[in-house]
Amino acid sequence: MNSLDRLIKEQINREIQAKTRRHFIKECVAGMGGLALGSMFMGCNPFLGNSKNGKIALTERDINPLASMPPPFPAKVKSVIYLHMAGAPSQLEMFDYKPTLHKLDGQATPQSLLEGKKFAFIRGTPKLLGPQAEFKQYGESGNWVSNFLPHFSKVVDEVAFLKAVNTDQFNHGPAQLFMHTGGPRLGRPSIGSWVTYGLGSENQNLPGFVVLTSGGKTPDAGKSVWGSGFLPSVYQGVQCRSKGDPVLYIEDPKGISRNLKKSTIDAINKINKAEFNEYADPEILARINQYEMAYRMQTAVPEVMNINDEPEYIREMYGVEPGKESFANNCLLARKLVEDGVRFVQLFDWGWDSHGTGHETSIDLGLRNKCTEIDRPMSALLLDLKQRGLLEETLVVWGGEFGRTPMLENREGQKMAYLGRDHHGDAFTMWMAGGGIKKGASWGLTDEIGFSALEGQVSVHDVHATILHLLGFDHEQFTYEFQGRPFRLTDVEGQVIHEILS
Amino acid sequence: MEVIQQLIGRLHPVVVHLPIGFIITALLLQWIDRKENQLEVVIAKIFLWGFIAATIACISGYLLYIGEGYSFDTVKFHLWVGVATALFSVLMYFRIKETSQVEFLKRIPKILFSFLLLFLISITGHLGGSITHGSDYLLDPLPLSIKTALGIDKSYKMPLLEEATWEETHLYNDVIQPVLNNKCLSCHNPKKSKGDLQLHNAEGLIKGGENGDVIIPKDILNSPIYARLILPLDHEDHMPPKEKTQLSKEEIAVIKAWIETGSSFDKTIGELELQKPLFAAFFPKVNTTNYPDVTVDAIPADTIIAIRKQGFHIEPISETSNLIRVSCINKPTFSDVDIDLLKSAKQQIVYLDLGNTEVSDAIFEHLTKFPHLATLNLSHTVITGKNIEKLASLEHLRSLNLTHTQFKEEYLPAITSFKQLKNLFLFNTQVKQPKSQSVEFHNDLNIDYGNYQLPQIATDTITY
Repeated sequence: MNSLDRLIKEQINREIQAKTRRHFIKECVAGMGGLALGSMFMGCNPFLGNSKNGKIALTERDINPLASMPPPFPAKVKSVIYLHMAGAPSQLEMFDYKPTLHKLDGQATPQSLLEGKKFAFIRGTPKLLGPQAEFKQYGESGNWVSNFLPHFSKVVDEVAFLKAVNTDQFNHGPAQLFMHTGGPRLGRPSIGSWVTYGLGSENQNLPGFVVLTSGGKTPDAGKSVWGSGFLPSVYQGVQCRSKGDPVLYIEDPKGISRNLKKSTIDAINKINKAEFNEYADPEILARINQYEMAYRMQTAVPEVMNINDEPEYIREMYGVEPGKESFANNCLLARKLVEDGVRFVQLFDWGWDSHGTGHETSIDLGLRNKCTEIDRPMSALLLDLKQRGLLEETLVVWGGEFGRTPMLENREGQKMAYLGRDHHGDAFTMWMAGGGIKKGASWGLTDEIGFSALEGQVSVHDVHATILHLLGFDHEQFTYEFQGRPFRLTDVEGQVIHEILS
Repeated sequence: MEVIQQLIGRLHPVVVHLPIGFIITALLLQWIDRKENQLEVVIAKIFLWGFIAATIACISGYLLYIGEGYSFDTVKFHLWVGVATALFSVLMYFRIKETSQVEFLKRIPKILFSFLLLFLISITGHLGGSITHGSDYLLDPLPLSIKTALGIDKSYKMPLLEEATWEETHLYNDVIQPVLNNKCLSCHNPKKSKGDLQLHNAEGLIKGGENGDVIIPKDILNSPIYARLILPLDHEDHMPPKEKTQLSKEEIAVIKAWIETGSSFDKTIGELELQKPLFAAFFPKVNTTNYPDVTVDAIPADTIIAIRKQGFHIEPISETSNLIRVSCINKPTFSDVDIDLLKSAKQQIVYLDLGNTEVSDAIFEHLTKFPHLATLNLSHTVITGKNIEKLASLEHLRSLNLTHTQFKEEYLPAITSFKQLKNLFLFNTQVKQPKSQSVEFHNDLNIDYGNYQLPQIATDTITY
């Protein structure tokens, strides 16, 4: 078998795989109805009238899948910057102040709390671990912030806290997928994909959904957390790098001049246009557009990804380290991208899994260093967006995939050299800031040791519903037809968290 | 005996399909046979069966009406039209029966009977369906737009409170009862009293249903009317039933507060000392968008396409709005004269982003032609602010972005006359943040001078 045959066979197999039982039943029913109808109409084709002289009415989306579209409802924000701390930061050392837990430090955890609970690593009866940070109330809102985040405490009045977010996943991969795609298993589109699918991109020279990573590793769940799932792949996140070429292979190959490149693309597009005139397949137009956009991106992307053009005082405010891959660089890039009309900027920072297995993952030392890494950049991001008038039309979301236990981790029942906390998804903290968000709000309350929610518990679906709401969507109406039924980001759940909306 | 009565009654929904089937079949046969007239014998027989079946349906229907909680008002039309259907079936039988002795019937044209029967059987069926499923059942699946056009839109409206009078408003009369009317009354009213419970007035609420009281004053968890609301949706006893419109969080909270304060039927919200936040959802919605509350004509789709072809980013603020957002994000060559390209949408444009373009101070004069402009971005341009006072005529202007421009301090006072302006961004202009407020601005105006800093602190460089 030659390679072409193999490719054709693979394509056929793929098509077969996409068919499901639902399709079969649907097609059976539609087929029989069609037979009956066909005989009644006696061969007249009601659809012939639509294509005059073989020309099909094309929407702008057929030609350019990233063409911008109006939201169903007036939106509060037009862009989103989502800061995800991969590994799950400890809410008990950052935002959720629990003085009682301090008093109970070192005591055995009551059995009643442990019954029916599963932990990733804790075995037997663990001891409670008091907060390893000092807390104070800040700003007019009087919200609590720990001394791990001294800069953030100055901007605390800009954000609204969700203190009792709940997830049912307690391992990184599934929990990250849940947090970003609305389901713990592979195959669903990420929030950014949904949003670019729904709204398109304003800047026609840049991708609509950009992903930036820092901390040395990408998230445990892999690239699926910014994947497009069953949506057309053009809506997946484009990973850009703050070190080296911003996008791999963005430079023209050696010996190929810009002009030669342009003529190449022109020639290909000419052939494609001829192809389109023959077959009228809108996919061909989309491809022509993609070539042209890629060509424009070759100059636009390096420009927007260059943080050296920023004035010194801005770079100082963020604490950027040019040439390195850092969260600070990514925060500054996020602002630049949003300023240039990118719809969704997703940041991942790795290294928050504070189990206490070593110095870097200890809750009192390693975590504090991680906090220092993000404290200045994320505070600067909020202030910089604010002074440019961008915070009014941008939503900033901060969170991890779950929270951490009020108990000291005892891996396999053993005492460990460093202090650590295990995974815990019952009640953890996230915050949002920007357009439509009630400044200084705090919603949700955890019990005296921060183990579970007392009131204002919100789910991951609720967070998604709120993000979509601010972008002008009703999360229940925003669907995509796949495998014979409409799919939603929020599945069959989710309620907008009005308590943090202005 | 009563059991059998009830059983026969409950067979009504099954039995009714027999006369419908017979009568429609006979009518269809009549149509087919209209020329040859060969099937009259058969057709007559079918009408006779139709009559018998209709009579049984009438009897079972009557028993159902007696056995269940229906009022006569609800069922009367259905009942009489049903009886009429049975009657005309038998008249039809005598009309076409070959050896009929009823002479006067022969004088009435057959076709009249046929149409009358078709009409009667349709109406009876429809009225019956409306009683079981509710009168809005049939047209409910229609899209809202069509329903509104047909004038049958019954979309739910929350009772409203007024800013000035909310404390004097009667909690029961003006809030609780309207909520019950909206969400409970369709099954618990004098005509249809499921569970023997009527929720249309105070007496009904006090009387309770077949399981006794529904309200125990000051004891929410033992008051079924509340307890059932907060049961999980899937629970058998949850009310309203899963498939019906549910009460909102805010409505449930108000019912809770009402029972907790003793379920008074005559006190006002003020007398009960209830707080305003509890009722927040009951006040008229204020326009919380950044866009003005104005009505403008839609601009033709081809105008939008024409503007888009010029390189502008243009789209409505939402799928259903006529208001328009325009941005020059893909058109950095935009200059003052290009504003004419947007003339055709001047009434509709509420958001205009001219950032990073080649506009100059001459733009202000042109911008006065966009009366509904609410958000204006002129950042990263060469404007100095000369003639900016002209923008005072834009009475909806809420947000003005002048960051990264040459905007001069001397033009700042002109902005005081912008009555609606809420946000002014002046970062990186020639205006420096005043030590003390030298210019008097109206209270609502928030000026962001920017230039925020995060000074170095000791912990920045410590590694633990």
